[in-house]
Amino acid sequence: MSNSYPTSTLDSALEIPANTLLSVRNLQTHFFSREGTVKAVDGVTFDVKQGEILGIAGESGCGKSVTSQSIMRILPKNAKIVGGEILYNHQGQFIDLTTVEPDGKMIRGIRGKEIAMIFQEPMTAFSPVHTIGNQIIETIRIHQPMSQEEARAKAIEMLYRVGMPNPGRNIDQYTFNLSGGMRQRAMVALALSCQPKLLIADEPTTAVDVTIQAQILRLLREIQADLGMAIIMITHDLGVIAELTDRVLIMYLGKEVEYGPVKNVFHHPRHPYTRGLLASIPKMVPGRIEIEPIEGSVPSPYAMPTGCKFHPRCRDFMRGVCEVSEPPLIPIAPGHEVSCYLYGGREERA
Amino acid sequence: MLPFIAKRLLLMVPTLIIISFVGFIIIQAPPGDFVSSYVAGLQRQGDVIDPELIAGLRSRFGLDQPLHIQYWRWVSNFAQGNLGYSMSLRQPVADIILERLPFSVTISLLSLILVYVIGIPVGILSATRQYSLADYTATIISFLGVATPSFLLALVMLWLLFVWTGNAQLGLYSMEMQNAPFSLAKMLDLLNHIWLPALIVGIGGTAGLIRTMRANLLDELPKPYVTVARARGVGPTKLLYKYPLRIAINPVISTVGYTLPDLIEGEVLVSLVLGLPTLAPILLRALLQQDMWLASSVIMIQAILVLIGTLLSDILLAIVDPRIRGSI
Repeated sequence: MSNSYPTSTLDSALEIPANTLLSVRNLQTHFFSREGTVKAVDGVTFDVKQGEILGIAGESGCGKSVTSQSIMRILPKNAKIVGGEILYNHQGQFIDLTTVEPDGKMIRGIRGKEIAMIFQEPMTAFSPVHTIGNQIIETIRIHQPMSQEEARAKAIEMLYRVGMPNPGRNIDQYTFNLSGGMRQRAMVALALSCQPKLLIADEPTTAVDVTIQAQILRLLREIQADLGMAIIMITHDLGVIAELTDRVLIMYLGKEVEYGPVKNVFHHPRHPYTRGLLASIPKMVPGRIEIEPIEGSVPSPYAMPTGCKFHPRCRDFMRGVCEVSEPPLIPIAPGHEVSCYLYGGREERA
Repeated sequence: MLPFIAKRLLLMVPTLIIISFVGFIIIQAPPGDFVSSYVAGLQRQGDVIDPELIAGLRSRFGLDQPLHIQYWRWVSNFAQGNLGYSMSLRQPVADIILERLPFSVTISLLSLILVYVIGIPVGILSATRQYSLADYTATIISFLGVATPSFLLALVMLWLLFVWTGNAQLGLYSMEMQNAPFSLAKMLDLLNHIWLPALIVGIGGTAGLIRTMRANLLDELPKPYVTVARARGVGPTKLLYKYPLRIAINPVISTVGYTLPDLIEGEVLVSLVLGLPTLAPILLRALLQQDMWLASSVIMIQAILVLIGTLLSDILLAIVDPRIRGSI
């Protein structure tokens, strides 16, 4: 129950470059239930630099949302961070967010103020019986010493900034008064209301149609250029990743598969899973549409494959290697690493 | 909102007319009338009744008239505030109701207070500490409370109190206070008696409310807007009271109006067992004896309370829930 910041005790913090905002190291978040333990996130490492956009991509259930919930410490009751570090650069000092008191003062001061989140379903993200303004003003006033009127003016300004058609009226509206696109804009205004340093966007365009999706992405890019915050973009849509992000982390079943600059990963994908993902994007070939799916299906979380989690579906499966132990992360190029025995790591195993 | 209320109030008029008609017909539906059941009672005691006397009684009460004329006589008087005369109790209906209604209302209000004061907090506790010892205890007790019929509970309580104190906790006053003039002592005596029916009537409702409150809150707690509020930095207390509880309690607020008719009829079995001078047992007796003006009037008053209660609930719901407000 200590309120002191757990900072200087971290040896690992010394190696972090100063422009790093967030450094997640070997994060492990597991869900505990009567049926067994689900290792939703099982060893994920990545950095977010100040002002950059990082993409996290993968199929449903790969642990990308659980990663973001772990950072915010808003995991459901039956989930627990069992290992790793989440180092957050709080005014020049690195705090390990995994060790702060859950729902304590420290994390509550960071949530919404320094790290804000955009959720998938804006309809259910706002309380149905409170106006959107009520919730935006509340957030502003939790984190900034402002009067009701000042906070209201600020909330209207934010709504204006995200392109709401009539901010002075919209602020007193409920979610059911707004269209899908406006709801997501209101969600963005809510997340940005305290000028966060890091914005986590968890599938922000999944619940809206394609035209609104494009608007929301444009809005995020504009605001990012304006305010200079970092964004973690969580999506299963590789198009969104390609369009918006600087670097990308590909996840499969709670594991980091490939991590590197978007251009490298998309133009020279190394991991068979990344290649499969990219190949499964429908391509327009004259006369027909080609889709090349990944063979097999995602295994049950209670019966995880041994060794490399992807080996039962892998085209390059090497018997006696892949199913025996987990491949280490192998550097391919500067800042680009892949977790696959095709690129080495077999010697270290012996 | 005002046009909505006006519209609903106007709609009540035809509804009440239909209820008055159907109610009157059903009360008259069994064969015979008050005079025949009165005569049958006298004959059971061995009296020989002069047929002329019977006919005289019938014409005095207007029972020899066709049904529609009897209905019209009753309903037009009722609309003017004249509730008629109870043939069995030989008293104006209005006097009977005014004498007994305060007891019914007091018992019901006390039990309602018990229901809300205990039901809501225990339900919240049960939901926020799901599967804890406190939750299991509340669950077991509330299941028992829901499953126990109130008359049985009344009998058991009577027996227990008799064993423990040697007093039969019947009625609302002690023997010696029964006919005493109103005084502080009599008031205290009343309080000393009235808690028992209030408790017995309230237990079922309390148990039900604990279950409702728990289920509603458990439905709301995992909803995204709660997670989002948490991700905005909202503290734990507000995270419970401002958001999920606010929505979970809506059905409770919106059903407050439905308890209005219970003010009269809620405690019928308990009143019979404990011998209370409330309205519900009188209605039952009036129906059995075909004391039609008494029965019809009590039923009409209940119908009015049901309609007002429903409207009240709808208005409350519109006040607490903007989604409803938007659609009326």
